[in-house]
Amino acid sequence: MGYVAAIALLPAIAFAILVPMSNRVRNKAVPVSVAAVVISLALSLLAFAQVWPGGHGGEAVYHASVTFATLGSVDLGVGVLLDPISAVMLVVVTLVGTAVQVYSLGYMHRDARIGWYYAVLSLFTAAMLMLVLSDNFLQLYMAWEVMGLCSYLLIGFWHEQVAPRKASLKAFLTTRVGDVGFALGLAVMYKTAGSFDFQVVLHDFAWAPAAATTVSLLLLFGAMGKSAQVPLHVWLPDAMAGPTPASALIHAATMVAAGVFLVARALPIFEVSGVALTVTMIVGVTTALVGGLLAAVQHDIKKVLAYSTISQLGYMFVALGAGGLVAGMYHLVTHAFFKSLLFLGAGVIIHAAHTQDMREMGGLAKKMPVTTVTFTIGSLALAGVFPFSGFWSKDEILTILWHEGHYVVFALALAAAFVTAVYVARLWFRVFTGPTQSAELKEAHVEMLIPMGVLAAISAFIGFGSPYFAQFLGHEGEWPAAAIALTSMSVAGIGLALGWWVYGRRTKVINTRPFKQRAGFVYDALTLKLYFDLTYDYFIVRGYGRLAEMLSGFDRVVVDGIVNGAGAVWRSGTEVGSLIDTYVIDGAVNGTASLIKAAGAKVRRIETGHIQAYQGLMVAALVLLMLWFVVKGA
Amino acid sequence: MTLLQPVGLLSFMALSAVLFSLGLYGALSRKSAVMVLMSLELMANAININLVAISRFSAPAELTGQIFAVFSMVVSAAEIGLGLALVIALYRQRKTVEIDSMQELKG
Amino acid sequence: MLLSAIVLLPLAGAVVSALVPKDRGDIARWIAAVVTAVDLALVVFVALRFDVGAGMQFVENVAWVPQFGISYHLGVDGISITMLALSALLSLVAVVASWNMKTKPAAYFAMLLLLEVGMNGVFLALDFVLFYVFWELVLVPMYFLIGTWGGPRKEYASIKFFLYTLFGSVFMLIGIIALYLQTGTFDMTAMVGAGLSESFQWWVFAAFFLGFAVKVPIFPLHTWLPDAHVEAPTAASVLLAGILLKMGTYGFIRIALPILPHAANQWAPFITALAAISIVYGAALAFAQTDLKKLVAYSSVSHMGFVMLGIASGTVEGLNGAIAVMFSHGVVTGLLFLIVGMVYERTHTRMIQDVSGLSNQVPVAGGLLAFASFASLGLPGLSGFVGEFLTLLGAWKSDVPAVWVVIAAIGVLLAAAYTLSMVQRVILGTPSPIVSKITDLTVREVSLLVPLVVLTLVVGLYWNSLLRFTDPAVARIVELLAGA
Repeated sequence: MGYVAAIALLPAIAFAILVPMSNRVRNKAVPVSVAAVVISLALSLLAFAQVWPGGHGGEAVYHASVTFATLGSVDLGVGVLLDPISAVMLVVVTLVGTAVQVYSLGYMHRDARIGWYYAVLSLFTAAMLMLVLSDNFLQLYMAWEVMGLCSYLLIGFWHEQVAPRKASLKAFLTTRVGDVGFALGLAVMYKTAGSFDFQVVLHDFAWAPAAATTVSLLLLFGAMGKSAQVPLHVWLPDAMAGPTPASALIHAATMVAAGVFLVARALPIFEVSGVALTVTMIVGVTTALVGGLLAAVQHDIKKVLAYSTISQLGYMFVALGAGGLVAGMYHLVTHAFFKSLLFLGAGVIIHAAHTQDMREMGGLAKKMPVTTVTFTIGSLALAGVFPFSGFWSKDEILTILWHEGHYVVFALALAAAFVTAVYVARLWFRVFTGPTQSAELKEAHVEMLIPMGVLAAISAFIGFGSPYFAQFLGHEGEWPAAAIALTSMSVAGIGLALGWWVYGRRTKVINTRPFKQRAGFVYDALTLKLYFDLTYDYFIVRGYGRLAEMLSGFDRVVVDGIVNGAGAVWRSGTEVGSLIDTYVIDGAVNGTASLIKAAGAKVRRIETGHIQAYQGLMVAALVLLMLWFVVKGA
Repeated sequence: MTLLQPVGLLSFMALSAVLFSLGLYGALSRKSAVMVLMSLELMANAININLVAISRFSAPAELTGQIFAVFSMVVSAAEIGLGLALVIALYRQRKTVEIDSMQELKG
Repeated sequence: MLLSAIVLLPLAGAVVSALVPKDRGDIARWIAAVVTAVDLALVVFVALRFDVGAGMQFVENVAWVPQFGISYHLGVDGISITMLALSALLSLVAVVASWNMKTKPAAYFAMLLLLEVGMNGVFLALDFVLFYVFWELVLVPMYFLIGTWGGPRKEYASIKFFLYTLFGSVFMLIGIIALYLQTGTFDMTAMVGAGLSESFQWWVFAAFFLGFAVKVPIFPLHTWLPDAHVEAPTAASVLLAGILLKMGTYGFIRIALPILPHAANQWAPFITALAAISIVYGAALAFAQTDLKKLVAYSSVSHMGFVMLGIASGTVEGLNGAIAVMFSHGVVTGLLFLIVGMVYERTHTRMIQDVSGLSNQVPVAGGLLAFASFASLGLPGLSGFVGEFLTLLGAWKSDVPAVWVVIAAIGVLLAAAYTLSMVQRVILGTPSPIVSKITDLTVREVSLLVPLVVLTLVVGLYWNSLLRFTDPAVARIVELLAGA
C-alpha cells in the first residue's frame, strides 16, 4: 500500500512544478494542480475502500516511516499512518479539495495570478494530507505550520488591497500564538515520553495525570489557535478577505478542523488528564455560543459563515471534551461538506450580486435555481434539520453530552443550536427572498455548479451513514435516540421559525432597528465582536509596538549609551593625558629639539655646498687625527 | 754608502707620499671635475704602490699586497668609469664641469 | 596537508591579488573567485571523505614552539566541518556578490581572502595560540572592509566593532594564559578532561564567556552589531552575520564546554536567561526598525539567542539545535543580506517605508526575499525551524528554569511578527515610486542565491543532512558535561 504516501506527495509535486515558473506560464499550467488533486482523490477513495470493511477495529492498516533526524539515541521519523480516522480525513480533504479546485477554475479564471493561487492550493492540500497521514506529533506540527503559511498566502492573495494584507498578518500571528503552546507541548511530551510517535505517546507510555494535563492543555492551546476557538478566534472572520473558494477549503472545511483532528488524535492523553477534557468542553461550548451570537449580527455573508464555522468548531470541541471521539470527528466530516458547500454557494452569490453585504441582496431564488437548491441543503444541514447531515452529527454530540451527564453544557449546546437556526434563517431569507436588488443576476458557470451539486448530495445523504461511521472508527454505532432527536429538531425548528418571523415574513427589506434598540448594550457589544478585537488591538498589537519603540530607545540611549559613555570617559581621560603630554612630555621633547635647532643654525654655516670645501675639512680633520696619534705615540 | 745601494722600503713610501700629496692637492684645488677625477686616480695609485712595496718587504712569498693592488686597480677603473659618466651627465645638464658651480648640498 | 591547504590557499590568493595592479580589479576578482571556489571544493572533498563516527580527523600536528607547548595543530570533527563548509561557501558567495566592486578592487578582494584565512583557521585550529592568531586575524580585514568600503558612518562602526571585539578577545587571552599556566600546554584536545578544579573552571569560564559573548553577541553586548551591519558592504555583512558571529558560539562549543564542563553547568542558568532575553529583546527591536539591514541585524541577535539557549541546555537536542541554528542562520541571513543588498543597489534606499510591492514589480527578488523571510521565522520544512525547535526541545529537557524556555518560545511568535510586518510592507502591496522603476535580478544574482535556497530546503526537509555530522560530535560533549 505504498501508494498512500503518493496521496500527499502528488500535490506537493504539483506545487514544486508550478512555483519556479514565470507567472504567465504558471497561469496556463493550472491543470497540473487539478490533475494532482484528482489523482489524490482517486487514491484516497482506494485507501478508504481498503480500510472500510469493519475499519479493523480502529487499528492502523498501513504504517511506514523513514528517519529524517537522529538525535543521540532518538530517531525522528516522517511516516504514513493509514487508520480509519486518517482514511476518513483523506477522503474529506481530497474531495473538498477537488471540489474547490474545479470550482476555482470558474471563480478565478479572470485573475492575473491564478497559477500562483493553484500552486498555493496544491501546497496546502499536500500539507493537510501530510497532517492527516502523520504517525507522530512532530510531523503533524510541521504540516500544521506549512498550512498556516498557505493560509497566510491565500488570505493575502489580493495583497494590493489593505484589508487582505492586514488580515493575512493577523491570521498568521494569531494562530502562531497557539503554535507556541503547541511547540511547548511537544517539548513537554518529548521530555516526558521521550518520543513523538503516536504509538509510543498514545499507547505505550503510561502518563502521569499531571504531565498529561500539561501536555494536553498546551496541545489544546495550539488547537484553539488553528481552529479559531475563543479567545483566539479573531483571525478567522478577517480571513474572509481571501478568495472565497480558498475560504471554503481552508477556513471552513479542512485547516481549521486540524485543531479538532489534533485533539482527536491526542484524546488518550486528554483522557488521562481529565482536567484537560473539561477545559476542552468549556472552550468549545463558549466558542459555540459566542460564534453563533456574533454570526447573528453580521451583515457580510462571508462573515456570517465564518462565525458560523467558529461556532461549529466549538461544537466539535464540546464533543471531544465529553470524550466523544466519534461524535466530534463525525461533525467534522459533515461540517466539512456542508460548510464548504455554503462557502462555494456564497461565492456564486457574491459574483452575481457584486456585493458581500446581505442588506443589498434579495430575491436570488428566482434567478439562480441551482444555487438556491444547493445552498438551501447546506443551510438546513447547518441548522440541524432532519434528514440533512448536520442533524445527525449534532444529534450525536447532544446524545453523548446527555449520557455523560454534562447537563449544563447540554443546555448551552442546545442554545447554540437555536442561535444557529436563527442566523441560518436570517441569512437564507435575506438573500433568497424579498425584492431583487440587482438587475443582472444570472446562474454561475457549470464548473462551479457541479462541485456544489456533489457537495450538496453528500450533505443531504451522508447522515444516514452515522452508525456505520462509528463502527468504522471502532466504536459502537447506534441510531439516534428519539427523545434527543426530537428535542434538537424542535429547537432548530423554533429557531428557523423565529428567523422567518423577523426576516422572512415580509416581502420588503424590513427594519429591525426597534428590536436592536431594545437589545441596546447587548447588540452593541455583539456588533463590536464582544470587544475581542479592540482589546487585542489596543493592548497587544499597539502595546507591543509601543514596547518595541521603547526598547529601541532603551537600546540606543542606555545600552549603547553605556558603551559610548565609556568611550567618552576614555576620551576625556585621554584629554587629561594629552594636557600632560603637551606641557610635560612634549615640553621636554620640544626643548631638546629647539636646542638642536639652534645649534644647527650655527653649524650649518660651514655647509657651503662646495665639495672641495668638504674635502678640505676632511683632510684637515685627518691631519689633526694623525697629529694626535703621533703626539700620543711619542 | 754607495750609489748602487738597493732601493729600500722607505724610498717606495716616500714616492707614494709624494704622489698622494700631489693627488690631494689636485683634488682640493682643480676647478674642473675631470681634473679632480684624475687627481683621485693619482691618490689611488699612490696607495697601490704602498701595498705592493710593503708586501714585498714584509712577506715576499705570499704576494698578498700585489693581488690586492690588482683588485684595487680594477675597482678604481670601475670608479673612474662611473665618475666620468656622472661628469658627462652633469655636463649635459649644466653645460659645465666646474665644481664651484655645484652647491646643492648647501645647508 | 589538506586542512593546511584549506587555510593557506586563501592566504596565497590574498597576497597575489594584493599585488595586482590597481587598475586591474578584474584580475583580482577572478583570482578571488578561483581561490574561494577551489577552497570550497577542498572542503567538500573533506566532507565527503569525512567519517562521521570518528572524532578528530585529517589531523596535522607539528611542534611549533615546543618550549611553550605550542603546536601547529589542525583537525576537523563534525562540528567544525559544518562551520568550515559554511565559511567556504559564504566566502565564495561574498566574492561573487562583490563582482562589480569599483573602489580599490584588488585590496578589497585581498581583504576578503584574508578574512577567509582567519575564519577557516578559527574553525580548524586545535591549539590555543593558533586559534587566537586566527581569531585576531579575522578582525583586521573586517575592520578595513567596514572602514574603507562601508557606508556613511563607517569610521564609527568599524572602530566600534574593532574595540568591542578586541575588548572581548583580551579576556579570552587571559583565559587562554590561565589554562596554559595550569596545564602547561596550549593544545585544546589535551586540555579536555584535565581535571581542573571547580573554582578555577568558574573563573576561566568567566573570561571565555566575555570573550565569546561579545562576538555572538549576547544582550547587552550587542550594540556593535547593528552599526557594523548597516555600514558594512553587502559581502562583509554576509560574512559578518554568517561566520563571524558563529565564531563566538563555536568557541563555546569547542572550548568552553569540553574543557570547562563543570563551570558550563554552573553558568547554564545565567546563560539561558541572557539567551532568552536576547531572543525576545532582539525580536522586539527588529520590530521597531525602519532600516532593512538593521532589522536583519537585530534579528541576528534574536537568532543567536537560540544558539546560546541550545548551548546552555547541554543536551544532545540543544547542542545539535544550536549548530543547526548556526548553520541555518548563516545561510538564511546570507540570503537576506544579499537580497537586501541587491534591492539597495537598485533603489539606493534601505528604508522600509520607501520600498513596497517588490513581488509585483520584481517577482523573483520579492519571492526570494519572502522565501528567506519564512526560512528566518522558522517555518517547518526550511532550515530555520530545525535548530529553533531542537534548541527549545533541549532547553526544556535540561534543568534550566522553564520560564526562560517559555520566554524563548514566545520569541518564535515575535520573529513572525517582525518578519511578516516587513514582508507586508516591503514585498506585498503596490510598488512604491522608487520600486516601480527597478528591474528584476540578473542571472548572476539568481545563481548566487540558488545554492543558498537549495541548502535551506535540504537541511529543512532532511535534518540528518546536517545532524549526521554533528550528532556524534555533540554526543561526546554531552558525555563530558554529564560527567562533570
